[in-house]
Amino acid sequence: MLRRGSVVRRTIATPIILSALILALAIFTVWSGSRPFNQTVIDVLLRVMLVVGLYIFIGNSGVLSFGHIGFTCLGAYAAAWLTMPPMMKGMMLPGLPGWLIATKLPYWVAAPIAATFAAVFAWLFGLVLMRLSGIAASIATFAMLAMINKIYSNWSSVTGATSSVVGIPIVRDLWPYVIAAILCIVIAWAHAISRAGLKLRAARDEPVAAQASGIDIPRERLVAFVVSGWVTGLAGALFAHSLGVVTPDTFYLAMTFMALSMLVVGGMSSLSGAVLGVLVLSLLIQLLRGLERGVDMGGVALKIPNGLQEIALGVIMIAILMFRPSGMMGNRELVWPRARRRRAADAAPRSSTNTQPTGVHR
Amino acid sequence: MKTLGADRVSVAFAGLRALSGVTLSVASGRIVGLIGPNGAGKTTLVNVLTGFQAPTEGAVTLDGVPLPKLGPHEVRRRGIARTFQGGRLFRDLPVIDNLEVTGVGLGQSRAAAIAEARAMLDWIGIAPLAERIAGTLPYTDERRVAIGRALMGRPDFVLLDEPAAGMSAPEAAELSALIRRIAGEMGCGVLLIEHNVGLVLQLCDHIVVLDSGSVIEQGPPGVIRASDKVRHAYMGTAAETDLPVPEIEG
Repeated sequence: MLRRGSVVRRTIATPIILSALILALAIFTVWSGSRPFNQTVIDVLLRVMLVVGLYIFIGNSGVLSFGHIGFTCLGAYAAAWLTMPPMMKGMMLPGLPGWLIATKLPYWVAAPIAATFAAVFAWLFGLVLMRLSGIAASIATFAMLAMINKIYSNWSSVTGATSSVVGIPIVRDLWPYVIAAILCIVIAWAHAISRAGLKLRAARDEPVAAQASGIDIPRERLVAFVVSGWVTGLAGALFAHSLGVVTPDTFYLAMTFMALSMLVVGGMSSLSGAVLGVLVLSLLIQLLRGLERGVDMGGVALKIPNGLQEIALGVIMIAILMFRPSGMMGNRELVWPRARRRRAADAAPRSSTNTQPTGVHR
Repeated sequence: MKTLGADRVSVAFAGLRALSGVTLSVASGRIVGLIGPNGAGKTTLVNVLTGFQAPTEGAVTLDGVPLPKLGPHEVRRRGIARTFQGGRLFRDLPVIDNLEVTGVGLGQSRAAAIAEARAMLDWIGIAPLAERIAGTLPYTDERRVAIGRALMGRPDFVLLDEPAAGMSAPEAAELSALIRRIAGEMGCGVLLIEHNVGLVLQLCDHIVVLDSGSVIEQGPPGVIRASDKVRHAYMGTAAETDLPVPEIEG
């Protein structure tokens, strides 16, 4: 019989490797000293947080959510309410309660509060939504996104309706985003190896047997929904500080599409897949953006039509779904090279036709 | 001493009566057999007893007291466990984790769940399979793992849904020995649903025969063996065949 270390020891490699990747990217960025590149990497780190947040719920529960960007919206506006200068709030958002107008917190205090605000709404929505399964659950999360968007687009005295809310303190320093992205990765890992994560994945793979094993499926889904609501809410708060401006439509269909496509390409049931999907597709988006602007190739101007970026994302996502539905990572996690070899030996007797998502930390 | 019972349980699916007024009980340490032709309602009854199916009429009772309407996970936490036709293991997890998840589902810490899982595999005699991925196991091992999973947390009752299906005679004999130990050594009440009538007659203290959703006969093996009603309903055209028969195909 094989002796096995604790769950933490067996799985700790994944968050360490992913955090090291993020740190390497950050160090390279600082070393390059380029301001536009700095802003690009901030965008990448925000996407890492978003997609990792999506993974926490979608990856472990197997229920597709179209609604999480709603929590990003809640987090972003909550951060705006907490950090804008009181005078600007008084003018732009007079409907806010007096104490909130008077409040002005540093961004790093406001961000976790904003994330918690989003998580509270995830809990409230989740109490209802987590009773649904499959496509019904997915459509209900989409309805939730639409509701949040419509409320924020029309409640002008509190959200400024569709006009931009400006005056949010801008944070251009890279490190807060690095720390937040690593924090999100660690949270996702901790949830995945927790008892809640274990039960949720069992319920995803074999719901009937999971129930017969004493697992309360709606409850475990709710736990993941709230945790992922917190993470996507935190991403929203920092998104607000990265731009200094928010509108409700920033956090709607385009962002949902982008985040989901990155998760699908990376591998829906793998934390490593979530992070790598962001890194790979962000690189591609950057290249396509460059091409949309036009590149001079020895006298010949190479330029692609605008909008090709989204189209390319769509094509890649469809191709992945057709040819490698478990994504780049094939639902595996990044581990130390030695452990991988041992694992490969373990997995040898498995049937090679198995395309079921595993997503299980081994 | 505990008793799990069905009290005049009826289930109707859109007008179709799957069960009508079924009453039976299983006591700690006893093995009760549930037999009947395909479509008789055996699995429906197991689903009712384990909370997967709400009865249209009647109730499930524990020690004579009707249980409130509970979800399957709550029924399991009250000590009523089951297996499924076809195993339904967590195929991508190693055997040991299949049992561990169930311990955790029942509220144990991971360490406690793993410790119990190891002891359970040992007790069943499949400790060497601990690290095998469940989806790669041969049929008979899969069944034994499923039984081990159902026994996690020491339930008071375990409902086995066709555990011997597809097994050879020696394998079925080994399974019989295991079921005897579950009742004898663990003191579990066992409800055994089986197509293999020979196995049921030889193992069970009491046998209930279902046909078209109703109990047509019950009693000790001798009564069932001698019953004309059972012979008719259960054997259909093969009325002259002597029981026990090794296996009845649907």
